[in-house]
Amino acid sequence: MADAASSRIESGVIDVLKNVSRRPIEPTLSSDLVADLGFDSLQVLEVVAELEDAFDISIPLDDASATRTVAQVVAHVTALVEQRAHR
Amino acid sequence: MPTPKTLADALDAGSNTGVGYTFVGEGGARTRSYAEIGRAARQIAVGLRGSGLERGDVAALVIGDAEQFLTTLIGAALAGVVPASLYPPSTTADLPRFFDTTASVLAAAEARAVITVSAFAPGFRSLGSQHPHLEFVFTPDDLDSPAAIDEWRPSLDDVAFIQYTSGSTSMPKGVIVTHRSLAANIEAIHGPSGLDVAPDDVGVSWLPLYHDMGLVGMSLGGLYSGRPVTLMPPEMFVKRPVEWLRAITRYRATVSYAPNFAYDLCVRRVKDRDLEGLDLSTWRVAGCGAEPINAATLHAFADKFARVGFRPESFLPSYGLAEHVLAASVSVRQRAPRVDFVSADALSDSRLAAPAHPDDDAGIRLVSCGRPLPGHALRIVAEDGSGAGEREVGEIALAGPSVMRGYYKDPESTAEVLRDGWLYTGDLGYVSEGELFVCGRVKELIVINGRKYHPHDLEWSVEQLTGVRRGRVVAFGAGEPARAVIVAEPTGTVPAASLAVQIRRTVSEQFGLPLGDVVLVSGGTIGRTTSGKVRRGAVQASYLQGELAGAVD
Repeated sequence: MADAASSRIESGVIDVLKNVSRRPIEPTLSSDLVADLGFDSLQVLEVVAELEDAFDISIPLDDASATRTVAQVVAHVTALVEQRAHR
Repeated sequence: MPTPKTLADALDAGSNTGVGYTFVGEGGARTRSYAEIGRAARQIAVGLRGSGLERGDVAALVIGDAEQFLTTLIGAALAGVVPASLYPPSTTADLPRFFDTTASVLAAAEARAVITVSAFAPGFRSLGSQHPHLEFVFTPDDLDSPAAIDEWRPSLDDVAFIQYTSGSTSMPKGVIVTHRSLAANIEAIHGPSGLDVAPDDVGVSWLPLYHDMGLVGMSLGGLYSGRPVTLMPPEMFVKRPVEWLRAITRYRATVSYAPNFAYDLCVRRVKDRDLEGLDLSTWRVAGCGAEPINAATLHAFADKFARVGFRPESFLPSYGLAEHVLAASVSVRQRAPRVDFVSADALSDSRLAAPAHPDDDAGIRLVSCGRPLPGHALRIVAEDGSGAGEREVGEIALAGPSVMRGYYKDPESTAEVLRDGWLYTGDLGYVSEGELFVCGRVKELIVINGRKYHPHDLEWSVEQLTGVRRGRVVAFGAGEPARAVIVAEPTGTVPAASLAVQIRRTVSEQFGLPLGDVVLVSGGTIGRTTSGKVRRGAVQASYLQGELAGAVD
């Protein structure tokens, strides 16, 4: 995937995280959603729903619970966006 | 009152209705009649007995899937094996703590078997080496035996299941639920003073089955009344709260219960464009219980969903606890929630919940949880042990056929709450014109999204960190929705900023709980009582009044 598309996904993910968080946060790729950004389990699933809407993808619940860092979220979304492009 | 039924009787009666459970998942929905559930449960029963488990043995259930959970729980009860339902881990990050806590529960219950999903089975097998009681680890598929046995018919005073409470690190307690208490509670809830269940009722629930409201209220409630119930996974609701309302619309549901936070999630997260296509006009019992009920939440929900047919008279605020099977009191049907506006003093023990002046900034709104169920008794006990008068705040105590026999193999904890035939709930409340208003927790539990945390567990784990003064940590819940707050006195050996990060990380890793706030305060801010206990209430009050923030940078 081109760098431009990849950084678009990264900034899209960070926008979603900032919108869902109820307090000001500065997420980086290495931030842990729970330990660093303070998301509770409800907010993690809210992030999943918002990502689905933002990128027109479908993230199964089983995958959602294994994701911990922003980098993992970006990689996951990137893979699903690529899959969508090929279908 | 109808004759009380055992789970086996309820299954027989339910099998003749033709209706059953509809299990909704991301991949679609499948319906299983109560007759089919009964057949699957009997196969599990055969498998359990064939494996060498005997009547009275405890089998712990850690199963997320609703169909597997229900058939296994009912199957165990039909085999005479005592199913114990445990809280599953909240996240994968939570696994080490989950196995630690669960190991102590299994040991205390002397459980001989764990029935769980294949993902957790290896974890439990490795626990087995340290716990000689734990002989068997099964998945529900292991137990799917086609053979037939002579069914064992439980009697009313046999244990139907053990309901474990709380996901906190303090030892969860196993509430003994007998067939008699189960039937007594369900019948009273369904009766004319409660839901007044009708032949055309339809239930929808996303509530977890390891919790009393999901298991007894919605799932077994459907079976006992022979009415259809649609069950969806809790994560599906939390991911998209509108899915709950869509299910109510699709199945034309009349009864659905949820804790306050679920109504709040719908207010905050259901988007205006998602209102299209919803029809909540069939929903006649919108039950609310299991955690403090916020009048503003109910009001906002009714406001937002009025245009898709929701009526505030559908709300049915209720009070209960697992130690009383499920419900102890329910509000008045087809009446908008009764709200009492009282002075903030009502939050403390042995005070009068005097009505507040309409302009009182410190006044609080409390929602009536109605009258005690028929055949059950409720009283308010003042601090000196005497019966409290009208509007006098005290501990809520309960008596009647739904009160638990005790905590399983835990006479000490049982004796703390069961005294002279009364169940002391640890909750504060008052009665006004015959209706119960719940003010808070004597035990100061922190309730976040339906999960309960004991303040002293959080405090203890934070105290272990270098840079924190021992015995100078306070944890409590604050805000709406509630978030956990830690207030601590640092020793000064660790920079404040990094100490705050460490505190967040510790609590997140050990409890799966993100903190809403961490406040480091100067030495001496956190007072102690003469008996050496931290003055949690005083610290909490200062925090809420904004007197603590930034005391140490």
